[in-house]
Amino acid sequence: MSPNPRKRPAPEALIAGLVVVILAALVIAVFLTGWGSSLYPPDAVTQQGRDVRGLYDIVFAFGLAIFILVEGLIVWSVLRYRRRPTDSDLPTQTHGNNIAEVIWTVIPTAIVLFLFVISWQTLNKVDAVSARPDIRIHAIAGQFQWQFEYLDQDGKKVATQLTPAYDTATGAGGMAVPVGRSVQVTLDSPDVIHAFYVPRFLFKRDVVPGQTNTFEFTVDASEAGQVFRGQCAELCGTGHRLMLFSVIALSPTAYDAWLNALIEKSNATPAPLPSGTVLNVTAEGIKFDTTTLDVPADSPFAIAFTNKDPAGVTHDIDIRDSNGTVVANEDTINGGTTTNYTINPLPAGTYTFFCSIHSNMTGTLTVK
Amino acid sequence: MATHALRPAAPTYSRGRLYEWLTTTDHKKIGIMYVINSFVFFLIGGILALVVRTELAQPGLQFLSDESVYNQIFTMHATLMIFMFVIPMLAGLGNYAVPLMIGAPDMAFPRINALSLWMLPLAGILLVASFFTGGSAAAGWTSYPPLSLDGPLKSPGTGQDLWIVGLILIGTSSILGGINFLVTIFKMRAPGMTLFRMPIMVWTVLVTSVLVVMATPVITSALVMLFIDRNYGGRFFDPFGGGSAVLYQNIFWFYSHPAVYVMILPAMGVISEVLPVFSRKPLFGFKAFIFATAGIGALGFSVWAHHMFTTGSVFLPFFSLMTFLIAVPTGVKMFNWVFTLFRGQLTFSTPLIFAIGFLTMFLIGGINGAFSASVPVDFALHDTYWVVAHIHYVLFGGSVFGIFAGLYYWFPKMSGRMLDEGLGKIQFVLMFIGFNLTFFPMQMLGLAGMPRRIADYAADAGWNDWNMAATIGGFLIAASILPFIWNVFVSLRNGKIAGDDPWEGNTLEWATSSPPPPYNFDHLPEIRSERPVFDARHGRGAH
Amino acid sequence: MSADSHALAPADHSPISGLAHDIRGGISNPILGMLLFIASEIMFFAGLFAAYFSTRANFVDANGVKEWPPSEFADILNPFSLILVATVILILSSVTLQMALWAIRRDDRTGFLRNMAFTFILGITFLLLQAYDYSLLFQEGLTMGSGPFGTTYFTLTGFHGAHVFGGVIMLGVVLYRGMSGQFSSRHHDAVEAASLYWHFVDVVWIVLFTILYFL
Repeated sequence: MSPNPRKRPAPEALIAGLVVVILAALVIAVFLTGWGSSLYPPDAVTQQGRDVRGLYDIVFAFGLAIFILVEGLIVWSVLRYRRRPTDSDLPTQTHGNNIAEVIWTVIPTAIVLFLFVISWQTLNKVDAVSARPDIRIHAIAGQFQWQFEYLDQDGKKVATQLTPAYDTATGAGGMAVPVGRSVQVTLDSPDVIHAFYVPRFLFKRDVVPGQTNTFEFTVDASEAGQVFRGQCAELCGTGHRLMLFSVIALSPTAYDAWLNALIEKSNATPAPLPSGTVLNVTAEGIKFDTTTLDVPADSPFAIAFTNKDPAGVTHDIDIRDSNGTVVANEDTINGGTTTNYTINPLPAGTYTFFCSIHSNMTGTLTVK
Repeated sequence: MATHALRPAAPTYSRGRLYEWLTTTDHKKIGIMYVINSFVFFLIGGILALVVRTELAQPGLQFLSDESVYNQIFTMHATLMIFMFVIPMLAGLGNYAVPLMIGAPDMAFPRINALSLWMLPLAGILLVASFFTGGSAAAGWTSYPPLSLDGPLKSPGTGQDLWIVGLILIGTSSILGGINFLVTIFKMRAPGMTLFRMPIMVWTVLVTSVLVVMATPVITSALVMLFIDRNYGGRFFDPFGGGSAVLYQNIFWFYSHPAVYVMILPAMGVISEVLPVFSRKPLFGFKAFIFATAGIGALGFSVWAHHMFTTGSVFLPFFSLMTFLIAVPTGVKMFNWVFTLFRGQLTFSTPLIFAIGFLTMFLIGGINGAFSASVPVDFALHDTYWVVAHIHYVLFGGSVFGIFAGLYYWFPKMSGRMLDEGLGKIQFVLMFIGFNLTFFPMQMLGLAGMPRRIADYAADAGWNDWNMAATIGGFLIAASILPFIWNVFVSLRNGKIAGDDPWEGNTLEWATSSPPPPYNFDHLPEIRSERPVFDARHGRGAH
Repeated sequence: MSADSHALAPADHSPISGLAHDIRGGISNPILGMLLFIASEIMFFAGLFAAYFSTRANFVDANGVKEWPPSEFADILNPFSLILVATVILILSSVTLQMALWAIRRDDRTGFLRNMAFTFILGITFLLLQAYDYSLLFQEGLTMGSGPFGTTYFTLTGFHGAHVFGGVIMLGVVLYRGMSGQFSSRHHDAVEAASLYWHFVDVVWIVLFTILYFL
């Protein structure tokens, strides 16, 4: 390499250097002042999530350093080496530099190998599954509803939570877990691929039909009483956005009470059919067997509802009036089960009955 | 340039220019038609993206009453952008540039070249027509079964079948194109054009073509099996009939990860031509760059399962390691580009500005890649908007900026006239701002837990502001395309006459007239390096 | 290809005249193109075979028995039957095709045409035998829809059959062009390319036959 034959005036270099330093300082300031916090995941609430977050911070630090270095070089070069009208001679024709090539091969290799090793170590912690977890939950994701089966230590089902989302008004619904205990979740799907995703866990795992995935987490003891948002993260059809659920962190005693209540509810026999009008409705193949129902006005009636779809596919029957106001909001039932819904008297008119989980399952209810 | 013809005499009959274009086997006309066809689908795909952004601007379903429509729109947006825009657009630029750059009169198989071209609009029409046959494919551009299988709440419509047929057509077109490129590059180089004197653009097309020829048939097999499952009672991917849902993902990504390099390598090639020309320096580390390109191509076949880390059925450490390693050759390229600028004499014409846009944006996309390679971090980020941000930083910030750099760079060669620099810079500024406004917030959205492919989100999830910002950015990007279209329209008639070599180029296409004659060259300069035209201009000593 | 020679006709001494032709010797464009096409075809079949082995490894029948082929089809695929005849015919057709190729290389057009015609007829015979074999399988209840076994069997053999069909068309074109005297020892790239493809189809069948009937 021959030395650059022309001396460049200092001002361009000064300006370029100044801009690079200011930009780098700005980027760093953004992070120091906390404005950059939205470039981090939310604070983790599980032991495993904190491991992931620790790893993220390291990867992010490397990423930020490389970003500042390379963008700085680009900005510097762009500002510094502008061609001026007086530049008629060619700049030095540098074809390359083997030492430089080796440097920027070896150092990045070392960095990625380091990142790989710490990622692997974290993976082994995050992905670990114990033989005897404290709590076992079997989560079933069907289009478009989650359900959570609580299992005993032998894997036998003791209760089923069919209402996946927590309702702040009533306090019902959600997947409750005790804090400070290891919770093992097994995932199954009766139809398409879904994904169990809780952002605050910094974790997701696909729910693959025909394959049972397992993962484990322990919610931090300080999180008792918190509710965390969960959502299906793998496109699963027209109701994908509706596949929400909540994880409720409870103290171990509160959890036991919660579970006992759920067991009681699960074991309760379906309400007996009242005398009067009883409609029989069956859901099979994501369809109601009828699209028209007729009931008399202003008197209570009942629907004997059978869900003939496979387990994991939940249905219910809700009713809305012609204005779209839901006048009957019934509980969902699992595939292969039956229930009786008792509906309060409705004034005469035309209503729509529908499955709250499958928007294609609708019919007309005529009250007269 | 000498003008007397080595070409065959013009035919004595004339059937008009349109007929001539429709029946041509000239690689330059075919290349230009590739570009036009791809640009049309870029516009369609862009409009679909605006529909998605409009729906997501605020929580609630305001704009699309039916969620199934939303799923169709984003599925077709991705499908058109990937298969009908980026891949064929780069194939078109390659089609135009490669024979010129290696001093060949045409592609090796000109009629097969025409066949490859004409399969594309046919496939595009099939894809778009599915909107009018009861709805297009709606299972995402990845079309994972069982969702993409036939059945209630899955994909019962013909749209999914049309999608499969369209993609197989595009794949066949790509394979034939890839074979054509490989034979052209191996067999048709001008005397003196050794492999290591080939321009980087040709090298990237070479590696891309190897990827296309080896990987595209694999996705064809996956699509064929999906078609059999849907229509003939097959059981490949139905987990309740003895098949495996994850099998499809393995086969699909075996193609679709290399496809990512199919979409970025030729854009890198464009950048590697533009940066040296406009900094008046050779590409820093020419051979290292070639080895890095080949390295990316080779590693590209061993990383597919990093799209499947969360499926719970791939060997995580291996794919994590390979994915990390692919950052190394990519980094080598990045440094080589930056050091090409370093101590150069930069002329900020539109091609260079887009090339620098490529560098700054692709860097972010590349760094993002390291996050995905880290399996536990990927557990948090997979299938969120963070991934959407990542692929757009790579494919839009990378490939699309590279494509525009290439269009501005070669437009004078294609048309004989210059594009307007002022309009070009307006386009760049709008696009650069709009792009970052759209996709940078998506990283925050993903980190905050917004899954991709949802039509609506809760108002209290804290995602409202970033979504609004992304929507505004999306419309800015759309606005940036208008000056480009206007620029092309005006410059074709009134643009400054380009002359043979408006940019002081390095490679052989600048040694012939603008536009080049049929069969390209009347004379070839001596080829003693990778910059034959530079050598001819400055004398061999300057090299 | 013809467009090139057309282009170069007026001035063979020009600086670009040598470009389209293979000045460095070695493999010709159509043959390199065919080899690359075969490479991509290999990857296509690799995808199908990967699916076959994956399906087979995961297969469990309704009673939870891990057996391949499933018990109800256990005896249906007998290698020592019609299918063996078809296999021999296909291998024989490769031999006759190679003899045709050798013949045209030494300018023996009669030998070329004779062997080419044999190959063409053998190819059609293979297709007819396969169609007949399919009809037997249908009678015994094995169809595309009868579980993973039927799906993989018919997909693999069906796509192979489609390739044989394509090959037979290619052979027919070569035969037709040969009959109108278009080939000689100096000009027979199309014969070389068609023979490469046909041998490839033959090899795929041997692999397929071994895997489906013996493994």
